[in-house]
Amino acid sequence: MTRTLTYYPGCSSQASAVHLDKSLRAIMGPLGVALRDIDDWNCCGASVGHIEGGHLANSALSARNLANAKSAGPEDVVTPCAACYLNTHYVNESIRGSEQLKGELNEALGVVGKSYDGSLHVRHICEMLVTDIGMDAVKAQVKKPLTGLKVAGYVGCQTVRPFANTERANKFDSYDDPTFLDDFTKACGAEALDFKMRTHCCGGSVSVMSPDKGLHLIKELLDEVQKLGADVISTPCPLCQTNVEMYQPEINKRFGTNFNIPVVFYSQLMAVAFGLDPVKDAGLDQNIIKSDKLLSK
Amino acid sequence: MEKKIGAYLCSGCGIGDALDFKALEGVVSKEFKKPVKSHECLCGDAGLAVIKADMEAGEVTLPVIGACSPRVMTDRFMLPGMTPIRANLREQVIWSHPAGDEDTQMLAEDVMRMFMTQATKVNDPVPFTEGDFSTTILVLGGGYAGLTAAKQAVKAGHGVILVEKKAELGGNAANWANIVPSKPPYHDPQANPLPGLIDEVKATSAIRVITGATVAKTSGMPGKFQVELSDGSSHTVGAIVLATGFRPYDATKLAHLGYGASADIVTNVEMEAKLKAGKVVTKAGSSPKAVAFIQCAGSRDPNHLPYCSSVCCSVSLKQAIQLTKADPETMVYVIYEEMRTPGTTEEFYRAAQEAGVIFMKGKATKVENGSGITVTVADELLQQDVPLGPLDMVVLATGMVPNSTDPDQPAQEYGAELLNADINPYPAGDSYNPTPAVPPGGPLLNLQYRQGPHLPMLADGFSDSHYICFPYETRRTGIYACGPVRRPMDMGEVHEDAMGAVLKSIQVIRNAAQGHAVHPRVGDLSYPKINLNACTKCRRCTVECPFGAIDENEKDYPVVNPTRCRRCGTCMGACPVRTISFDNYSVEMLSSMVKAVNIPDEDEEKPRILVIACENDAYPALDMAGIAKHQYSPFIRVLPVRCLGSMSLLLISDALSSGYDGVVLMGCKPGDDYQCHFVKGSAMAKERLSKIADTLKSMQLEVERVTMVDASIADGARLPKVIDELVAKIDAVGPNPFKGF
Amino acid sequence: MNAISPTPKRAYDLNFARYVYENIDGGERLRMCMQCGACSGSCPIGQQMDHGPRKLFMMIRAGMKEAVLTSNTIWNCVSCYNCVVRCPRKVPITYILHDLAYLAVQEGYEPAKKADNARFAKAFWWSAAKYGRTDERLVTGIYYFSFGIGEGMKRGMANQKIAMNMIKTKRMHLGMPHAIKAKDELQKILAKATEIQARHGKGA
Repeated sequence: MTRTLTYYPGCSSQASAVHLDKSLRAIMGPLGVALRDIDDWNCCGASVGHIEGGHLANSALSARNLANAKSAGPEDVVTPCAACYLNTHYVNESIRGSEQLKGELNEALGVVGKSYDGSLHVRHICEMLVTDIGMDAVKAQVKKPLTGLKVAGYVGCQTVRPFANTERANKFDSYDDPTFLDDFTKACGAEALDFKMRTHCCGGSVSVMSPDKGLHLIKELLDEVQKLGADVISTPCPLCQTNVEMYQPEINKRFGTNFNIPVVFYSQLMAVAFGLDPVKDAGLDQNIIKSDKLLSK
Repeated sequence: MEKKIGAYLCSGCGIGDALDFKALEGVVSKEFKKPVKSHECLCGDAGLAVIKADMEAGEVTLPVIGACSPRVMTDRFMLPGMTPIRANLREQVIWSHPAGDEDTQMLAEDVMRMFMTQATKVNDPVPFTEGDFSTTILVLGGGYAGLTAAKQAVKAGHGVILVEKKAELGGNAANWANIVPSKPPYHDPQANPLPGLIDEVKATSAIRVITGATVAKTSGMPGKFQVELSDGSSHTVGAIVLATGFRPYDATKLAHLGYGASADIVTNVEMEAKLKAGKVVTKAGSSPKAVAFIQCAGSRDPNHLPYCSSVCCSVSLKQAIQLTKADPETMVYVIYEEMRTPGTTEEFYRAAQEAGVIFMKGKATKVENGSGITVTVADELLQQDVPLGPLDMVVLATGMVPNSTDPDQPAQEYGAELLNADINPYPAGDSYNPTPAVPPGGPLLNLQYRQGPHLPMLADGFSDSHYICFPYETRRTGIYACGPVRRPMDMGEVHEDAMGAVLKSIQVIRNAAQGHAVHPRVGDLSYPKINLNACTKCRRCTVECPFGAIDENEKDYPVVNPTRCRRCGTCMGACPVRTISFDNYSVEMLSSMVKAVNIPDEDEEKPRILVIACENDAYPALDMAGIAKHQYSPFIRVLPVRCLGSMSLLLISDALSSGYDGVVLMGCKPGDDYQCHFVKGSAMAKERLSKIADTLKSMQLEVERVTMVDASIADGARLPKVIDELVAKIDAVGPNPFKGF
Repeated sequence: MNAISPTPKRAYDLNFARYVYENIDGGERLRMCMQCGACSGSCPIGQQMDHGPRKLFMMIRAGMKEAVLTSNTIWNCVSCYNCVVRCPRKVPITYILHDLAYLAVQEGYEPAKKADNARFAKAFWWSAAKYGRTDERLVTGIYYFSFGIGEGMKRGMANQKIAMNMIKTKRMHLGMPHAIKAKDELQKILAKATEIQARHGKGA
């Protein structure tokens, strides 16, 4: 039976994380999920919108998305992006918890005849996979187990913090020691390495705007991954994927290292394991550092 | 009735297997010519039946029981007639020394010799029960503590005389509208229960309330105190509860914190009065928008009060919450060094945080009064000075000074010297040498005691003895302190404290009437008896008694007040002519026990060391060592004493002249943090021991032969090592040349 | 609600703590901060901060408004939320830092004009508000050139290789900026929200 969920792809789905969007859409069919995009969705504000726009204006970005989502139906909203999840979930929960905020945001939405009542449930797509689909259902779709592939699961920050262990996130995992990503890896038949730094920060947008401040954080992660002998790093977060991947040459230049480790999305691993096309469905050609082991599957 | 001694040896618990019982029985029958019986389980019904049969037949009146420690099976061996003598063959012989060993056997035989000798020297004590005993409790102080004590005493069936200096009851608490919460959820200030309590006390006929009066004179002893009041009335009471409370620290000494510079710089007491009066306003008449509390104002400060008054933190929390509730626009700052919120007060602290009160950890270094008040805070968390201002008001959280003296009475010369010596245990030059030891003023009870009119105080001026081991007890038996005169405390604690002091009062009233001692020798019927024919009027006993139990008559002879006495025997140990003794405890008895031990010849290479062990901690610790099967030298012989204070120097010279190679005194820690159960008994022993060097020199003996060791009840594992080290040390000095004389 | 924004001129302002409690997103929980330092200890780049959140919060209480709003702590936050989940008093630290940064921008403090994060936020918000989407190419471009033409060129060149890689993998496009359809609608909503913010004494 196919379930329909409202889908919020986020800005990265149009650019830096286009391969996340592509691979996710490819695996949802086999897993029995139909994704219905929010109509004319807009940016969530990410980690910096607030600073320039202010709390209420930044929240209004999410409010419009939620209003559009609700008018399409009461289904849960899922998003694959850590920042989109963080902002949309936070605004949604704040609306549910504060009559004042709800009133003010509706006042803003009202100028274009929209409204939102706070009745939706905004979820991270990983949480949905854990809670609604389950690993048995994922395993059932595996046609080409990724046997022998050593995967360092890098969760990053905002996928789990600050909500993973709350009631509204179905307490799907812990903040400091989450296991869901390794479970995904194992379900695909690959080997999940014990990557202790799985929730350490890559610097987020600070690494993008001020590499001097953040590159050492990424370097520490890569050191550990290299020590573990990983074939690939798997991550759920668009910004983590970009930061950890695109800065490897720069890090090699600055720190005298020789990193060349592919960084892929868990959904790309699943797509390959499900027997889908590594390029057309998994988008593995869109990773800057190619994983031959995966592309050859 | 003629005393007939009979010995009973128990072979249970392995004693029979470890020792040669035939030889042990021989000690009693051959050396002491007394009957002896052995049984495999003396504490069992069959074993007890053997002893009881002999006693009922009149063949034995005083059994000597060679079995386990006297600290166990006391109820089993509590037989009608004289209290049995217990020779400890289990914990301190077979459990701490190897079985079947020659030295263990010698130890066991000496133990029997010592306690058979003790039996020959004790008499059944005749208790002091002369005259009438009052059951009335006099409560001094009509504040929350005194009112609670009075109410509780009546509930327990005692008549009460409640004396209050002021015209009205209530004390300090009468000035407070609200108090720190004592009920869940501990978030909001609670109504002051005082008014209801005053009404209740006034309506109780068994409480005679006397206001506007002070105590002019107190004489007598527990069960028969004579108290004369300033109104001329005189009362006989059984016990006294001291509930005189506290006075706030004199804020005029806090000019450095701005006190006196502005009417808007007030103490917590003054703020409390403002809160009770209604809306708090500044001198300009407006509601204060920014208020800072300065904690520890004149507290925990060597130049002021060296101690923590424990309640100021929660009082400031309360006042801060009240201020923010009265006007939500008011910003309240609390400048603190350590926020002390024990127990449920932590919840109250949280409530203040929730109310938006800002806590700044640091010290207020400057208070300036210009356009608004500015407090400079040396902020510990920011590591910088923060000028906090402009403030509309500053509240100085001042501490409590105990009313252990009456500030309205002139200080008395008589006894002041004794008092100072008593409360200032800190040696000169000690790093912690608090200055204001005695709060100024005259004595509260004006005790007509040899040791002066004051109640002894702790170094900080509180009337207490040892507030952990013996709460409520002052060092004057029958007088119990409660509330802030004993230590700083809040009203919830005062409530419990008052009940505690009342229970102690009831205890002393009941025990005194039966001639029983109170804590720690509860039930002891003996008391010191002085043979005045031998007395040299040296006054050592009247000066050294830790409880001021001995007065002097007009001819300077000592007079014992038996119900004041705690039976430690410090007087007995102090007496240079050994003329003070108890019916069942005397220097002569102890000396005979020391001499009862067989001293082997020098060539046998078996040294003998006398351990004089305090019964309260050292002796039980040795029992604990045995229970844990810790082994130690079999060359020691343990002489239990009531307190090291009862140790006469004669015991040491007797031991050395009879051939012991050394003497070890084992007792509670003396000094300012004493653990002595009789306050200063072990300190007295230490003092006496400092004079032993001359005696040893005159006997041409080495000073190393005599040592003193502090022992606490938890030292079961440590003492065996200490003993072995001392035995080795004394052994190294060589055998005592007096051996064999 | 205290509607008056405290004066930006004074180094110490006793009203600042109250202002933060009542007006900063998550600020009301700041009352409960017990200065344990779990936040500063958890921060991945705490060593690059002048104060760290723990001390910054004490400075707020001490009324050190200027020092708080000129602190680099608010600009260095990487939004990892370690502090938020570890705070034993449930203080939403990251949110507070973000809103303090907004306040610093609004009140025109110098570091708020110069900080990388502030410049980036300006570029990001421009894109989000104008097009409804953030176009990474545009945002970084505007961000680089916010330092001036020369510096902008320099930064652009330094990242040329990265950009090339992104273009090659079709993760950066070269055409018109991504945009939503109803740009007008979004702009009206944002204008209204900004107006409501101003009612609370926040924003221009």
